[in-house]
This record gives sequence, structure tokens and C-alpha cells, in this order.
Amino acid sequence: MIESLVILYGALPYLFRGVLVTVSLVVGAMGLGLLSGIALAVGQVYGTPWTRRLIGFYVWFFRGVPLIVLLFLFYFGLFTMLGINLSAFTASIIVLGLISAAYQSQIFRGAILSLPTGQLKAARALGMSDSRAIISIILPQALRLSVPGWSNEYSIVLKDSAVTYAVGVTEVMARAHFVASRTYEHLPLYFAAGVIFLMLTFLGTKGLRLLEDRVRIPGYVR
Amino acid sequence: MSKPPVLRAENITKRYGKKVVLNNASLSICERELKILIGPSGSGKSTFLQCINFLVTPDRGRVWLDGREILRTHKRDLNAYRQKVGMIFQDFNLFDHLTALANVEIGLTRVRKMGKEEACEKAMQELDKVGLRDHIAKYPAQLSGGQKQRVSIARALAMDPEVMLLDEPTSALDPELITEVLAVIKDLRANGMTMIMSTHQLNFASEVADEIIFLEDGIIVEVGPPDKILYEPECERTIQFCSKMRELYGNSR
Repeated sequence: MIESLVILYGALPYLFRGVLVTVSLVVGAMGLGLLSGIALAVGQVYGTPWTRRLIGFYVWFFRGVPLIVLLFLFYFGLFTMLGINLSAFTASIIVLGLISAAYQSQIFRGAILSLPTGQLKAARALGMSDSRAIISIILPQALRLSVPGWSNEYSIVLKDSAVTYAVGVTEVMARAHFVASRTYEHLPLYFAAGVIFLMLTFLGTKGLRLLEDRVRIPGYVR
Repeated sequence: MSKPPVLRAENITKRYGKKVVLNNASLSICERELKILIGPSGSGKSTFLQCINFLVTPDRGRVWLDGREILRTHKRDLNAYRQKVGMIFQDFNLFDHLTALANVEIGLTRVRKMGKEEACEKAMQELDKVGLRDHIAKYPAQLSGGQKQRVSIARALAMDPEVMLLDEPTSALDPELITEVLAVIKDLRANGMTMIMSTHQLNFASEVADEIIFLEDGIIVEVGPPDKILYEPECERTIQFCSKMRELYGNSR
């Protein structure tokens, strides 16, 4: 027992460096997903029928194929075939980001659709172009409404990021696995990995909860 | 009396599916005039007003401002035209994420590309005109209905419109608040704003309108000065409608 704890203690700095990798993965993927997700949502709500169909297909594909399949498909398959030389880390951010974009687009789409249509009408009545109205009127409101859904998406991407160990990204799970298989101390190491993910989920959702309060429009009661 | 009209809408027709909500409705208005649309709910008043600035796309019909036809396919022209035609909605449609001040500023900074300071000054003036100087920092959710509608009037006025379209501006307000909004509209009238307004406030209409247009089932049934339409209408339906409205809201005479 004591010996397990000593091993675990010794492995902690190594695990914590993995936290940096995990956090970078999540920040990168969520950021990529945010930008593309907004564009996809706007396109799906306001785009031409063909744009909508195309985005619908994108969402269907990335929500429908398991993460590990997509990781292998892109990292070992597509990127190699196209001769794009990416590290496992970069490829993982891209794949996680593309998937998150699909999910996030639906969070934003729901938020946009929940706004009263009068908002866009009033903006147009002032002489705003549609793109200006979307940027100045629609998105500031829709994004506020999206924070709770986004927090959900954060916890999912965080946990999904553990799968990238399968392509060799040295994030928390990969490091726990590495130490565990070398020392045969499976229980304490996977337990520690679990606790680390729990803490990251806690901190992230807590932070987003604060953000939600901060951006709340005054006068609206919960 | 042969002044050219500021705004002219001709043969506006709008269908939703098979239902014709507006059938060949025409209207023209000269500078400083106030024309009031009356008619039962669903008669097409709202659709008519929203077709005039193309918030609802008419199936047929043409619109001119200052003698120039507005082609709604030219996005730039359309946006420039909408700047000159202020719109007031029944349910205010204030931008919920912005303070009263920012609601008025945003058209100035984002559409008219005015500098921040200049826009702020102008917005303050407009809010002052509608009696809301003390409420500029409040968000729509913190304002009463009457205050919201006055902010929306200030927002439209800030664009220096040539014409204002008011779509039942008091219908979502309780009786006490109606007065404060009508007072603002009377002020506008006194200052020579050209306006087309739909309303159920017949007393108000009889007091201030130059002309009343009675609309039913998307058709303009009768047009004339308030005294004629409200008290000596020719059409059977106008008579029925006006007497029913008087029963509800009392006679002004």
C-alpha cells in the first residue's frame, strides 16, 4: 500500500505535465469548434438550401462516426494519404475540433432559433445588412444563451480527449497507462487519472458557470 | 396641394399559401401627413406596413420613396431605404442585450458609421425627447412597456427618418401606458413627422389623423378624413367596425 503511494507520488509530476497536454487539446479543440460551430450554425439557419444541406451532412457525419474511428481515419488515413505531416497532437486537436464543431453548431443553432424573430426584423428595419445584424444583434444574444450547453460540450470534449492516447498523444490517460504498465500499479494510477479528469471537469464547468452569470443580461430572472 | 408624395406604395399583394392577406393595397403619403390604418385583427394592417419596408416580401407591388422606386433585390439600396423609413413594432423589438442608450446608438454606429461620441450624444438627445433621460442605462427587461416603446421610438428617430411606420404601437400596452406613448406620437406629429400608423385607438385617430384607411381581409375598403370614416362611413363593414370599436373604447364626442 505504502509502496503504491510512493510510486504514485513519484509519477505525479509526470502526470501533471500530461494535464498541460490535455488542457491544450481541449482548449484547441473547443476553440476550433467554437469558430467553426458559429459559422456552421449561422449557415444552417440563414444559408441557402444547399448550404443547409451541406452543413446538415457535415453534422450528420461527425456526430455519427465514433471518435476513435475518426482519429484513425484522419491521422493514419487521410492525413497520410494527402501527405500532410502532422503530429498526433495537432491531428487530435483537428479531429476533436471538427467533431466539437458539429455539436457546438447545434447548440448555437438552437440558441439562434430561440431568439424572437422580431430581433432580426428590428435590425433590418434600421437598415442593417443581414451579416451586420447577425454579428451585432443575433450572435451576442445567442452566444449568451449557449453557455450552459457549451459547458456540457466542454465536459464531453475533455473526456473524449483521453481517447487520443490511442494515436500516441501523451495526455493524462496515456501517461497513467504508461506508468501503470511499467510498475503494475494499475489501481492508484487510473484512480489518479480519474481524479484529474474529475477536477478538470469541475474547474471548467465552475468557470463557465461564472461566465454565465457575468454575461447574463440584467433584468432577466433565472 | 399638388405636392408629390414622399412615399408611395402601389398594388401591394401578399399571399401566405392560398390565403391572400393583402390584395392590391395602395397608399401614398405627403410630407407631414399622418395616415392611420384601421381594421379588425388579421385584416392585413401589419402585413401592409411591413411590406412597405420589405420586412415582409410582397408577392407583387411597387414602392417609391421621394419618387425613386425601391428595388428590394438591390441590398444596398434596400438598406439605405430602410434607414429613411423608421419602423415601430407592436411588441417593441428592442435589442434585449443592450441598454436603452445602446439600443439607440447601435443604428448610428453600425449603420450610419457615426463616431462613438457623436452617436452617444445624439442617442441621449433622442432619449431625452421621449422623456427617458433617467433610464438610459437600463436594459429592456428593466423597463415598463411604455418605456420600451418610447426607447424604440427614439431608436427609430435617431436615424433621422423621412417617414415612420408605426405598427399598432400601443396594442401591447395597458391603458395607463398607452397615454404616454400616444403623447410622444402627438409630439412627433406636431413636429411634422410623416407617419403611417395602424391602431385600434379610434379616438386618437379622429384627433390627429389626416386620413383614415379602413382595411378588411387584405382589401382597402374605405379611405377618407377621420370625420367621414369614423362617423359617416359609406360601407356597411366600416359602420359595423367603427360602432363596435366605439362600444369598446367609448365615444370621443
